[in-house]
Amino acid sequence: MGSRLRLLFLPALIVLYLGVGVTASAQSPEVTEPAEAEASAEGASQDDIDLEELQRQLDILAEEVERLRSGEQPIELTDEDARAIGLAPSAAATYERSAGVSIAGYGEMLFENFAAEDEAGQPMGSASQFDFLRAILYAGYRFNDKFLFNSEIEIEHADEIFVEFAYVDYLAHENFGVRGGMLLVPVGLVNEFHEPTVFLGAERPVTEQRIIPSTWRENGVGIHGSVDGISFRAYVINGLDGWGFSSSGIRGGRQKGSKAKASSMAFAGRVDVTPAPGVLVGASLYTGGSGQGEIALDDREFDVRTTIFDLHGQAQIRGLDLRALYARANIGDAAELNQVLGKTGSSGVAEMMDGGYIQVGYNVLSQSAEAGSVALTPYVRFEKVDTQAMMPVGFDRSRSTENTFTTVGVELKPISNVVVKVDHAWVTNDAKTGVNQFNIGLGYAF
Amino acid sequence: MKCTVVVGVATLLLFPISLSSQTGPMTREEVLASVYPGATVEAERVFLTGEQTQRVSELARAEIESPLVARYVAREGGRVVGRAYVDTHVVRTKPESLLIALASDGAVRRVEVTAFLEPREYMAPPAWLRQFDTQSLSDDVALQRAIRPIAGATLTAQSATEAVRRVMAIDEVLEGRGRR
Repeated sequence: MGSRLRLLFLPALIVLYLGVGVTASAQSPEVTEPAEAEASAEGASQDDIDLEELQRQLDILAEEVERLRSGEQPIELTDEDARAIGLAPSAAATYERSAGVSIAGYGEMLFENFAAEDEAGQPMGSASQFDFLRAILYAGYRFNDKFLFNSEIEIEHADEIFVEFAYVDYLAHENFGVRGGMLLVPVGLVNEFHEPTVFLGAERPVTEQRIIPSTWRENGVGIHGSVDGISFRAYVINGLDGWGFSSSGIRGGRQKGSKAKASSMAFAGRVDVTPAPGVLVGASLYTGGSGQGEIALDDREFDVRTTIFDLHGQAQIRGLDLRALYARANIGDAAELNQVLGKTGSSGVAEMMDGGYIQVGYNVLSQSAEAGSVALTPYVRFEKVDTQAMMPVGFDRSRSTENTFTTVGVELKPISNVVVKVDHAWVTNDAKTGVNQFNIGLGYAF
Repeated sequence: MKCTVVVGVATLLLFPISLSSQTGPMTREEVLASVYPGATVEAERVFLTGEQTQRVSELARAEIESPLVARYVAREGGRVVGRAYVDTHVVRTKPESLLIALASDGAVRRVEVTAFLEPREYMAPPAWLRQFDTQSLSDDVALQRAIRPIAGATLTAQSATEAVRRVMAIDEVLEGRGRR
């Protein structure tokens, strides 16, 4: 019987230990177990020997319990072992590893109150909205040391269900893996790390909604890894669907893994460098066709090549949280796309759109030992987004698509897993149609 | 489309070439051998008393999940040169074990991951763990103070920092050093 099967017999071992004693032994291969050397002291009384034997056994049990708690030794069952406990090999899977299934999750609720008038003083129809934005469960399973499954199941706005990612990961090397399935597109700062406890602001930066359409996920395969402070991901995924592009960005082009058109594929990758703990700089690139074989004029098919790149940086040092990002999207064959979509004038899809933000926050309790894990972080974010930065010939820019957002707020984390955010965003554009808004957010992650 | 696929496949094939350094969990024995080369290492299991547990919790500002402490005492020529502790804790829903090696005065010499059952991408990188080297028990050993967070792995950073504080507090109590 394999020594790792001892987990199954640990309760019995303890009973035996308390009753008639045990004869099992355990040794750490390269260290001395002092209790073993203490047994059978010459001339000691029988009581002394019993006491030493009990001490030895107790030490063995303590080592066993501690090793099992540590997760360092997976428990492996042979088919004979499985039969011995009355289970077929698959049914016995749960015995094979104390850490098979993994469950986690996060969620966020958002109250938005919009100004009664826009910049020009025109009355606005919308007033307030209270939305349970996201309720998420992560579910994963670790098959063995090399293979694992990971997924994120999302209920959005309390009544829409999505799979945000679901992939199988093959950990080929300690710092290199291959994964396939529905993947988060590795661009920007928020798309892959979009839990509300991770980013400042009741709402995600607008750049990372309109230029980088987070949460952006598509089907594909790719590699990931890290070495010496440099991490990377490189995927081949299905491309965006140009039919969903609009004057306000490419967000509608996401296919979200659902019967995705795959005539146009894309490459997405990123490299991040961590020169020092808490400091990260990096870049990402997405490029691929968005035509999906469906954008054609006069029997000529257009690829609608879409290229998005971003540069980003983040520094978290002694309570200071500084982030900056610039993203730009170029869309080929934009004029033809607009023609096919029937868009004219200033309602057309742009040839180029861009956006960026700089954000700073400071945890004012960070230097107080008494505060423990409580964090109170005022923040400010300045952001500019233009979804019609450059229009194709024959199309006009709308004066309302270049917006400036100035957000001032504060977040409170009573514990690191729970956050309450309150902020106010001032929105301006050349058309004077910006509408300010006040937000209250509640988020959690576990 | 063909161009994209070619670029993608080429990238998939070329990236692994440069990979060589190990960043996965090490075994206890590997860590002990590298931190205390040439030393005799003896394993101990210590059961904290209720009073010790409470004192450790106060010093560490962290919960003590179990009074069972696994530690290794390293000696050279009969002289203690360091003590290493195994701290097992839950990161998100799965456990992580750290081997936290201290010098004889209680300062951190090395922190290494010996087991990590969450998805590997949340594991603390070695460069981040090096922040603990030479640290002694103080209020400054905390996230957003002397210890910087890990982008995208907040819970890992939080639990590892608590573990190091906990181990330094246990060592301080067991060895009867100051702050009493």
